[in-house]
Amino acid sequence: MSSGSFNPFDMAQAQFDKVADYLELDSASRELLRNPLREYSFSIPVRMDDGAVKVFRGFRVQHNDSRGPCKGGIRFHPQETVDTVRALSMWMTWKCAVVDIPLGGGKGGVICDPHNLSAREQEQICRGWVRQLARNVGPVQDVPAPDVMTSAQHMLWMLDEYEHIHGGKYPGFITGKPLGSGGSLGRTEATGYGVVYTLREALKGMGIDPKDTCASVQGFGNVAQYAIRLYHELGGKVICVSSWDQNDQTSYAFKKADGVDVDALLGVTDRFGGIDKARVKDMGYEILDGDAWIEQDVDILIPAALENQITGDTVQKMSKRVKIVCEGANGPTTPAADKVLEERGVFNIPDFLANAGGVTCSYFEQVQCNMNYFWEHEEVMQKLDNKMTAAFHAVHNLAKKRKLYMRDAAYVIAIDRVAKACRDRGWA
Amino acid sequence: MSFHEELPLLSTDLLRARAQQLNCLYAVEELFNLPGNDEARVIRRLIELVPQGWRFPEHCRVRIAFDRQVFLSPDFGESAWVMTEKVRSKGRALGTISVYYARELPLADEGPFLDSEVRLLKIVAKRLGHFLEYNRMQEIFTGERAEQAEYGAGEWKTILEVLRNTNRNLYLRIVNHLLYHLCWNGEKDAQELLHDTSLEQRTDVEDTLKDPNRPYLSRSNELPPGMDDRILEIAGDTMDQEDLLKKIRKWIREDKLSFQVQILNRNLPLSEVGEAVRRYYNLMPDKMDLNLPAIKGITVSLIRRFLSDQLHYINVAKRHVHVGDFSELLRRLVFSTQSHGKLGGKSAGLYLASQILAKKAEQNAHIGRVKVPRTWHITSDMLLHFMHFNDLDEIVEQKYKPISQVRFEYPHVVQSFKNATFPPETIQGLSMALDELGGHPLIVRSSSLLEDSLGAAFSGKYKSLFLANQGSKKQRLSALLDAVAEVYASTFGPDPIEYRAERGLLDYGEEMGIMIQEVVGTRVGDYFLPTFAGVAFSRNEFRWSPRIKREDGLVRLVPGLGTRAVDRLSDDYPILLAPGQPGLRVNVTPQDIARYSPQKIDVINMRKNTFETVGIRQLLREFGYQIPRASQLVSIYQDGHIRKPQGAMVDFDEDDLVVTFEGLITNTPFIEQVQAMLSVLEEELETPVDIEFAHDGKDLYLLQCRPQSYDESAIPAEIPTDIPDEDLLFSANRYVSNGRIPDVTHIVYIDPEAYARLSTREDLLAVGQAVGRLNQILPKRQFVLMGPGRWGSRGDIKLGVNVTYSHINNTSMLIEVARKKGNYVPDLSFGTHFFQDLVEAQIRYLPLYPDDKGAVFNEAFFTDSPNVFADVVPELASLAETVRVIDVARATGGQVLKILMNAELDRAVGVLGEPSTVTERSSAQPRVVHHERRADNFWRWRLLMAEQIAARMDADELGVKAVYLFGSVKNATAHAQSDINLLVNFSGTPEQLMKLHQWLKGWSLCLDELNKLRTGYRSGGLLDVHIISDDDIAARTGYAAKIGAATDAARELPMGSGRDR
Repeated sequence: MSSGSFNPFDMAQAQFDKVADYLELDSASRELLRNPLREYSFSIPVRMDDGAVKVFRGFRVQHNDSRGPCKGGIRFHPQETVDTVRALSMWMTWKCAVVDIPLGGGKGGVICDPHNLSAREQEQICRGWVRQLARNVGPVQDVPAPDVMTSAQHMLWMLDEYEHIHGGKYPGFITGKPLGSGGSLGRTEATGYGVVYTLREALKGMGIDPKDTCASVQGFGNVAQYAIRLYHELGGKVICVSSWDQNDQTSYAFKKADGVDVDALLGVTDRFGGIDKARVKDMGYEILDGDAWIEQDVDILIPAALENQITGDTVQKMSKRVKIVCEGANGPTTPAADKVLEERGVFNIPDFLANAGGVTCSYFEQVQCNMNYFWEHEEVMQKLDNKMTAAFHAVHNLAKKRKLYMRDAAYVIAIDRVAKACRDRGWA
Repeated sequence: MSFHEELPLLSTDLLRARAQQLNCLYAVEELFNLPGNDEARVIRRLIELVPQGWRFPEHCRVRIAFDRQVFLSPDFGESAWVMTEKVRSKGRALGTISVYYARELPLADEGPFLDSEVRLLKIVAKRLGHFLEYNRMQEIFTGERAEQAEYGAGEWKTILEVLRNTNRNLYLRIVNHLLYHLCWNGEKDAQELLHDTSLEQRTDVEDTLKDPNRPYLSRSNELPPGMDDRILEIAGDTMDQEDLLKKIRKWIREDKLSFQVQILNRNLPLSEVGEAVRRYYNLMPDKMDLNLPAIKGITVSLIRRFLSDQLHYINVAKRHVHVGDFSELLRRLVFSTQSHGKLGGKSAGLYLASQILAKKAEQNAHIGRVKVPRTWHITSDMLLHFMHFNDLDEIVEQKYKPISQVRFEYPHVVQSFKNATFPPETIQGLSMALDELGGHPLIVRSSSLLEDSLGAAFSGKYKSLFLANQGSKKQRLSALLDAVAEVYASTFGPDPIEYRAERGLLDYGEEMGIMIQEVVGTRVGDYFLPTFAGVAFSRNEFRWSPRIKREDGLVRLVPGLGTRAVDRLSDDYPILLAPGQPGLRVNVTPQDIARYSPQKIDVINMRKNTFETVGIRQLLREFGYQIPRASQLVSIYQDGHIRKPQGAMVDFDEDDLVVTFEGLITNTPFIEQVQAMLSVLEEELETPVDIEFAHDGKDLYLLQCRPQSYDESAIPAEIPTDIPDEDLLFSANRYVSNGRIPDVTHIVYIDPEAYARLSTREDLLAVGQAVGRLNQILPKRQFVLMGPGRWGSRGDIKLGVNVTYSHINNTSMLIEVARKKGNYVPDLSFGTHFFQDLVEAQIRYLPLYPDDKGAVFNEAFFTDSPNVFADVVPELASLAETVRVIDVARATGGQVLKILMNAELDRAVGVLGEPSTVTERSSAQPRVVHHERRADNFWRWRLLMAEQIAARMDADELGVKAVYLFGSVKNATAHAQSDINLLVNFSGTPEQLMKLHQWLKGWSLCLDELNKLRTGYRSGGLLDVHIISDDDIAARTGYAAKIGAATDAARELPMGSGRDR
């Protein structure tokens, strides 16, 4: 490892160290949590379509399972490094802890580039991965999920191999399955709804009626669409959304002062949230530069598209009226912008709390699979609301009590929960 | 006089006369084509038909005389008002046909007759001549056949008797054969006869033996009178009757063949060649054993005559095309009696390919199932015939006019073509075509001779038109004629003329064949469409995985009409497949599969008779159940999962469908079929091929086949062997495709080591942002991006620069450098993060492996050349160590970087050289000199206009301090679509700013209009204006950084210098 160069695991450890200092964790706890509990590294021989055998390298890192079975994705990536997987597994531990679901953190993958593999070869890799780890993963040990360049299809191949080896039905072994094959209802809307559940609670805490607020949203993909829907149901009004225009290779913001109409917009939106700008213009929307979403005179900003959108520069364009930034996307706010938001007293709902609806729903999928009983849609959403609401208040209370910035409070509460579980088990 | 003023003169009478003549002609042609018709009956019917073509049918009488027979109209009486035409066959008069008017009638062009009636009678006489001659031959041979069973004694005499009366030359030749045969068999009488007639020759031969340089004396070939009877007598006495009959038959046949060779070699009109072929077909119903060289000779002559005179083509074609095949081709050929034309490149290519597939069908079941749609052809010279017929000959001169004038006048040319009349032969031929093709939608395509003889990429330059072909026969014919006229007119369109001018091909004669092809498909609702269609290449020039070999080929597949696969689209994507590796897909995640799937579909609207593009999801929802095998086109997208439908279980109303062709690829032999077709055609044509195909849900049809090198981007670049070391910047010897990037002025080099040293994610992301900025600022398509590892990495962005397609869409090439790390070389991305965007935008990709044996990588050039990054993007200057921008001209004293790629050698080089004006001759096209597309006048004119704008600008009134020019116009690299990039340093009031904008907008629109006239491109405004303030210039932000920049600096234009009116 060349010193000085970017290393995600170093970064994850540094982040942990900061919180550990704040929590004044003992050295054993720190030692335990700074590193994964277990790491598996193994070979997967695959007979390729042309008859030759190629050997792939597989990984699984189980960072911590003190609160429950590990949970985390399987990545197919041509230049995977173990440090990346370690860092990601650690983040999974905190992510599960912050919404208080009884799961630990894991991550795994295979060094391969699916662009160079046929479907049959990918299937063999999936099955080979499971064969190597069949005894170390499972519904009560470690539950994989789709990640970079893996999809529901890969999960089904893995599940099939797992069940074959263990001679039974274990749908709870893996999540991210399609409906009808052990998937859960509500998965599509879970993240977007989760974002607004936390937003609702934040407004409640600030004594603001959602009906008196308006918001601007970056992005019009899955998360944004459902977030806007639920926010509108609460009585709020989104006056601006931005979206990427594939033809022009740039983004635009679409503004309607009396509130956007999600259903009408969906009529002119492609599968990826790209809005047809000619047609939306006819519908009376004002078309602005893509960055304009952040400049709107609104109470709430919901970045729900890309990382690094609210930066030291763009934060300066933000209206003074903005009271809440609710992070639907991963990492939309840079540290420099965080500083400005904190100074201005803008309330931040950090990404790994606000968009934890997704992982929560994965947990629900596993729970339903384990008891082989699947809930109605309403029940899933109700349970999601309960989880998100509880998680928000826990973080918010801590932030108030300790005068912490929300993002820091979320980390503190997550790490504290895991450290406690370890200590209770006598691990540290 | 305008055309419209002339109209009233074309009285309804004349129009009616014209229609009558046409009807008469159709009827006559139909009559002659009826099979097995009794001669007398046909003549009698002809006498009834002919008057219908004349102005006063009721007064019209006809007399036909031949072979001592006379046929007359019922109440025939001779009169003074008569026109007569000789009925001839091969120059010999057989008889006459005369048309009389029974009483005096108003005078017209020639007496009471119209000029067009004279022409009509000529045509009828000619057809009658052919018919009679054909019948003669038929009589001889059918008569002879009938007797085969009986072997009637003396039957051979009857044959020779007929011959003596109808074809004296042939008769004499047969008798001559007989004489030699008898001598050969030792008949004394015959030998004496021969001796008597050829005494001189014998001495001559003896003399020649003594003096080989003395010429033979000539002697008459004619037999002395009465001698033929004598010979026949001897033969009758001495030879077996049956044997004699056989011999005579054989000689006649051989003689006919030699006659055909003569016809073909004498460059006679197509009508006669056609007749000869038809006769041959009748001669050879059971493919008798004639000597091979004769047949070969005929085949080659026919190929040269109809298909192509390119040696390579002939060489291949003679192995696959047989004489008999031409009969079938001729049946669907539209030509005039005087035509000398050919089919043209596209038609000839398809014809040969279809013959090859037909011949290979037995060996390969996949190929056996490939079909070719019914296709009619119009020969190439019919265009000239058409123009001549309408006095449009002077339009040929269009090409020598200035291109702006050509463009300006083109709509007029189109209109005059569309309003012109077609020669009767064309109308008749197309009418027959419509009868056969019925109400099936058609495509009318050009088949240029230039494409055939030069191999230049001429396809796409000329028009192809889709026709719904609905309505009455009359409506359909008129629509078809209209389409042919429009395709004809496109020969004189500005784009092909400009293209030819650039390549020095202007003086090549304009001839253009036309191909009229059934559109493959089915009708659903108002729409007509094939289930899917596409193009396939036998060599893959866009490989997305190192596992894909060039030989694995490439297929671009779309639902509906193939137009969307042929063209590069900016807003949609075809499905890409390598038939040799069908399992390796470009897109692997469900999100990417859905994003890069076709969203639109081209169809023919049968009700509106238009070509339309409609949304796929909407079409499938409406007609999914009716489109044959539609379930094989789609996968179901659900919650981020993409699933192949279970058999035909697709809910077209409810399911979220993505076009993936998954069912087609995995459940049908389609891939094998395409692969078999590509490999057979490549092998037989001895060159990589590209084909177009369509599928109607039942069968796969081949629509076009041509050498792959016809596509300019696929031509292998010639790589010089003597590149001086100091000029060679890098070489590649793995995964190289064909092509060339001629004039790279800037290199963006991401230093791999410096990139690896960046310690925060923010810094790594900033490099991607810097590339995005450079992408906006550097001259479009004239810079290359070179970076470590995988361009477009997400997540683990240490592996490569985090960019999206919008950060790189102006580059000309994406280069990935794989440096060895310890003992392993990292995998490269092959551009997969935005592969399809690269393909559609024709941005090339090249992987470099500097540590490979034999690979050259002049790292010092990239790291030590002056780095102008900080000057270009001052706000990100801190990244200068990592992001290096090399102004090639500055670093080398005026040179540019050229990247030459040759997949045949699997070798590419980046070399420094002089900017090109005329590129080197390419090995694939030895005869064509490529001039660079960018004609000088694009930028000169723009520069002049930019100077004018500055000169005429009232600085005080508009609050302008300075005007700068940058970009392609400044760099003299502007092309037909380029903007004029201006920086305006403004420091006035808001009112002045508004005024300035208005003033510039006026210029912009005006220049855009002028550019439209010159180039055909309209952009909505030619100026790209950036208003900057003094503060911007001081801070060097945004475009202001261009002023005084170290590279590609904006140039100040002199203002207000007058040039008054």
